[in-house]
Amino acid sequence: MVDTIDPITLQVIGGALHAIAEQMGTVLYRMSYSSIIRESQDLGAGLFDKDFNTLAESDSTPMHIGSLPGYLRGIEKTIPLEAWQQGDVVIHNHPYFGASHSPDIAIVMPVFHEGALVGFSANTAHHVDIGAATPGLIIDVPDMYAEGMLFNAIKLYEAGRRNEALWGYIRGNTRVPNLVMGDLAAQIASAELGVRRFGELLSTYSQATVLQATRQLMDYSEAMLRREIAKIPDGDYMAEGFMDDDGRNRGQHLPVKVTVRVRGDGVEVDLTGSSPQVPTAFNVPFEGSTKVACFFAFRALLLDTYTNPDQVPANEGSFRPVTVTAPLGSIFNPVAPAAAEARFNQIQRVVDLIIKALAPVLPERCTAGNAATLSFAAFSGVRPSGDYWVFLEVNEASMGGRPGSDGPDTVEELMRNTRNNPLEDLGMHLPLLCDRYEMRDDVFPGAGKFRGGMGVIKSQRFLEPGSITHECDRHDDRPWGIFGGHDGHGGRLEVYNARDPAVIAQHPAKFSGLRTVAGDVMSYISPCGGGYGDPLEREPQKVLDDVLDDYITVAHALEVYGVVLDPVDDGYGWALNLPATLARRAGLDAVAHN
Amino acid sequence: MSETIKTGQVRVGVDVGGTFTDLVLADTRHGGQIVVVHKVPSTPEDQSIGVVTGVVELCRMARIAPGDIDALFHGTTVATNMIIERKGASVGMITTRGFRDILHMARHKRPHNFSLQFDVPWQSAPLIKRRDRLVVTERILPPDGTVAVPLDEDEVRAAAALFARRKLDAVVVAFLFSFLNDVHERRAKAIVQEAMPDAYVCTSSEVVNTIREYERFSTVAMNAYIGPRTSSYLQQLQGRLREAGMCGAVRIMQSNGGISTVENSIARPVGLLLSGPAGGVIGARATGQACGVGDIITIDIGGTSADISVIRGGALTIKNARDTQVALLPVLVPMLDVDAIGAGGGSIAYVDAGGAFRVGPRSAGASPGPACYGRGGEEPTVTDAQVVLGRLDPDLFLGGDLAIDRDLAHRAIETHLAGPLGLSVTEAALGVLRIINNTMALAINGNSVAKGIDPRGFSLMAFGGAGPLHGVALAEIVAARDVISPLHPGVTAAIGLLETELQYEYTRSVLIVLSTAGATERARLEQAFTDLQREGAAQLDSDRVPDGLRYFDRVLECRYVGQGFELRASVPDGVIDEACLQAVVKDFYNVHLQVYGHAFDDQQVEAVTLRLIARGVTETLHLPEIAHGGRHNPAEALMYVRDTIFDNGQSCPTPRYARAKLLAEDTVTGPAIITQHNSTTIVPPGYIARMLSHGDLLIAR
Repeated sequence: MVDTIDPITLQVIGGALHAIAEQMGTVLYRMSYSSIIRESQDLGAGLFDKDFNTLAESDSTPMHIGSLPGYLRGIEKTIPLEAWQQGDVVIHNHPYFGASHSPDIAIVMPVFHEGALVGFSANTAHHVDIGAATPGLIIDVPDMYAEGMLFNAIKLYEAGRRNEALWGYIRGNTRVPNLVMGDLAAQIASAELGVRRFGELLSTYSQATVLQATRQLMDYSEAMLRREIAKIPDGDYMAEGFMDDDGRNRGQHLPVKVTVRVRGDGVEVDLTGSSPQVPTAFNVPFEGSTKVACFFAFRALLLDTYTNPDQVPANEGSFRPVTVTAPLGSIFNPVAPAAAEARFNQIQRVVDLIIKALAPVLPERCTAGNAATLSFAAFSGVRPSGDYWVFLEVNEASMGGRPGSDGPDTVEELMRNTRNNPLEDLGMHLPLLCDRYEMRDDVFPGAGKFRGGMGVIKSQRFLEPGSITHECDRHDDRPWGIFGGHDGHGGRLEVYNARDPAVIAQHPAKFSGLRTVAGDVMSYISPCGGGYGDPLEREPQKVLDDVLDDYITVAHALEVYGVVLDPVDDGYGWALNLPATLARRAGLDAVAHN
Repeated sequence: MSETIKTGQVRVGVDVGGTFTDLVLADTRHGGQIVVVHKVPSTPEDQSIGVVTGVVELCRMARIAPGDIDALFHGTTVATNMIIERKGASVGMITTRGFRDILHMARHKRPHNFSLQFDVPWQSAPLIKRRDRLVVTERILPPDGTVAVPLDEDEVRAAAALFARRKLDAVVVAFLFSFLNDVHERRAKAIVQEAMPDAYVCTSSEVVNTIREYERFSTVAMNAYIGPRTSSYLQQLQGRLREAGMCGAVRIMQSNGGISTVENSIARPVGLLLSGPAGGVIGARATGQACGVGDIITIDIGGTSADISVIRGGALTIKNARDTQVALLPVLVPMLDVDAIGAGGGSIAYVDAGGAFRVGPRSAGASPGPACYGRGGEEPTVTDAQVVLGRLDPDLFLGGDLAIDRDLAHRAIETHLAGPLGLSVTEAALGVLRIINNTMALAINGNSVAKGIDPRGFSLMAFGGAGPLHGVALAEIVAARDVISPLHPGVTAAIGLLETELQYEYTRSVLIVLSTAGATERARLEQAFTDLQREGAAQLDSDRVPDGLRYFDRVLECRYVGQGFELRASVPDGVIDEACLQAVVKDFYNVHLQVYGHAFDDQQVEAVTLRLIARGVTETLHLPEIAHGGRHNPAEALMYVRDTIFDNGQSCPTPRYARAKLLAEDTVTGPAIITQHNSTTIVPPGYIARMLSHGDLLIAR
């Protein structure tokens, strides 16, 4: 143990740790093969001490950030600390041993310094296909054994020597071996980089200094979050919503209940009252997903990197003030062998409900109801050669209005932050053709002083027969308006054949293994966020802009926003009539208060 | 206006920065070379005013008439500022029906992970508003560019008529899959031009003919957004120069490190977006040549930011096309791989709410500037730390042109840092430098080590006004071999402008798996390269570059089949046969290994984009050799001795030498400080600085 490190050395080591994690993330997504990793960047990478504390993590998809300690604790149940050897590479994805969900495979390497284990270099990445019941994704499956290959702390390399039998086994049990093996190679390269750079850092500053610095950096991040929590009045804050269904029992809504207990500078998120676990894959692994969502919510709300100029290091410290409770046997803490692969929509909703619960006491930091969803589509088919193609597509949604700005349209919200796939790249390589990709135009955005964001419509057409599994939610429970803002809109999913586009089948948000024929089109229409504040307080110029930009009609502007527009002949068509607007707004206001 | 390349010319380089416009004049008409440097304040409201003022003054200093100037080389931030400040043209867009919002959705990734209140600049401040993005019926299909739905020309006419009524300055035509077949884009452009003869009109495939719709559309949108005003700026500049009597050629620095004509810059202004920092890197390469050094890490440190790049074996590094962006908007043009970070002399040091000691990225800028300027700045900056430690002498700062106050620097550090942190003022000042140097060193590592480069074999060249103050400290952290402080650290970018060559790039998307390519595919590649080479040759014809001074570089941007990021592999000269493609695959393997630390020999390699770089060599600057000295710590150059604190915290009497009085092969042992008008070079204890033949300083242990 060394004394407290001076603030200067602390900054220097903190910067170095962050840079290492960033480089690990970069190598992983640049080198990888599958579009879900390389384009969507559905991955996380970082360094950990041997108590499994996160020392630094790459700034990639929030869902992955914070999940790795759960993996490490799960691995310890099989591989105790003393059983690690230099050059080991462990593969792990077991949902009941800390994994986020089974497709997020972790690669973990130990870091040794002067002969002793110091910590770990690790990463997770979403794999396209691990040989589950349906290609790419699963919904309606009976148990975790249908999720595909489960690796519970297995050494893929032992002391630097690859387990060829295991390597061959993995290659033989995925539908897309070239993608999966290439992605695993990228993960290993990334972990090796972390081992090397962490070792160099330990040599430069001494192990004692580096580890003491990491303790102080964690304390710092913890203190920064606790300072903000302490500003919230103590109390129990509650919010509720519901999920559409579990993918099998149609029409049966699943309640989600969030209680946020603020006590001093700590907070507990209690999910008691939420649905019991379900008989499909629509459950959430507790360690690797439920907890991570709650950590995310408080960092995004209280240490917002856009409004705070001082970046707080991404480490274990930011998790410590937050405790998470979910009853065993509930959808947020299922009991094996329940499948728990399709978990993203539920945790998005947990975050959204935490925001809703705290909105009354954090009006300047919250948002109106967000889409808080995920459209995750697995398109697949078999090529004439007999090889499978599997493509995972993430469709964006939108956010609710905010205290100073509209909710962003067509954006990755909350726990996700992937990139879309260039349509032209897909068109050159897959028998899929995109027929439409733009903002949806069938509804008006959630009205408010700051309106909600607009969802997307994306239509993908099969050129050859294939199959779709779609993991999604929020057709039914509309994103809420707040402080006088109006509700947004739920999503929709339509399937039709391009030869006869008038015959449209409306589908639930989630379904498994839908067989398609050539010409079949899946159109996904994502939810729109709710409005923030009274629409009558919206700046009239913004209402005019929304009319000119085809978000709303002239009639809607008049009716909901009280904005009067006059026709003009300038090529755009409409101009603001401010006196008439003020008069109309005064009238509507009077009506509202009578 | 294109001038024949000849020897014996008067050439002027003008680099416009945020605060100063730097100028260099080289006159080779009378045998040797006369070089004059100058600095004038920039005129941000119209950069050309400062440029012309500077040129006129420079001519006076050189005792020549503006009419004697044969060519003026200009590095400008005009185009970049237009994007950052959103002061470009009003632009309309015609695009494929069903895809109106490609520019609005971008890659659907938000700019912040842990934020709810983040801004999405492409939605809140779009280059083209949604109202001005109109869709028309047409459809081109992959993989071969078949026309599935013909272009509805009436819809295009209606859109153009509407844009005309809206009095838009510019229109872009951007259709899906136009990189496979540009017939619809070309036809639509012709229709728009008919309806709007005065508008600036361009198509996505003519600006950048590559796959990936968002990036291509973003590039053409940016081109049109900056087109009209870049054009008027350049024309205005030419006009003002003519009024001042300067009728020689005007050449514009591009982001890829080459220069272009005014006409080409107007047609394709996106090529200018990173024009500013490019000059510095070229200048560093030229300095390296003069010093006989080919492997260089460059760092250009100014007031608010530092620009970092790597030169390997004398070759500039080009940024991966997936990383080229301006203000968070992608732009698919080749750019030098220059990383900019918010760290410079004006970076503010502070203690945050959690008690952490931070430096930057916030900057005091030129106004109010560091506390020691006495212009109302109260927060301590990196410059204040240098002053407190005695490394910048108040009486010599900018040759004494700017009065600085050591007490103000001391007070700022004491009040804002030393007091709250419980440190002495010296400790706090040293801490400021250690933290800012670490920030810069991490960025250097990110641009070198992270890309497979081992700094131990590289010289670190530190320039920009503040560069040589940090050079040795940075070299120690990144373990660079030695440090070079160039002859004129403050005007390296302007010197670089005189070291460039004409350079044009042409691309085409190909998508061919190289490992299985047969005669047909090879013929397609051959044909494509031939076509592009013809375009390049025509351009060099119009620039009147003689045959012997023309070079054509062929590149294939490749990836392993299934990957999404390409790397550049070079194509050997000669016919494209099997051996040639094998050589490409081998080069790709090596590049992949270097960049990622891994490569595969059992994977298929796919070429995605074919690129031809046409270069025309022009006269370059050859700075004269300086007289031989061979002295050690020459008394003739010694100014005075003053106490200075180095990184070990010890104060020691440190001599100041006038750089102008040092001669070739003179050596100075540290501790020493070598001063010149706009820059100060630190030689810490244990180091020796040696003056090289052209006036550059090499500092090593």
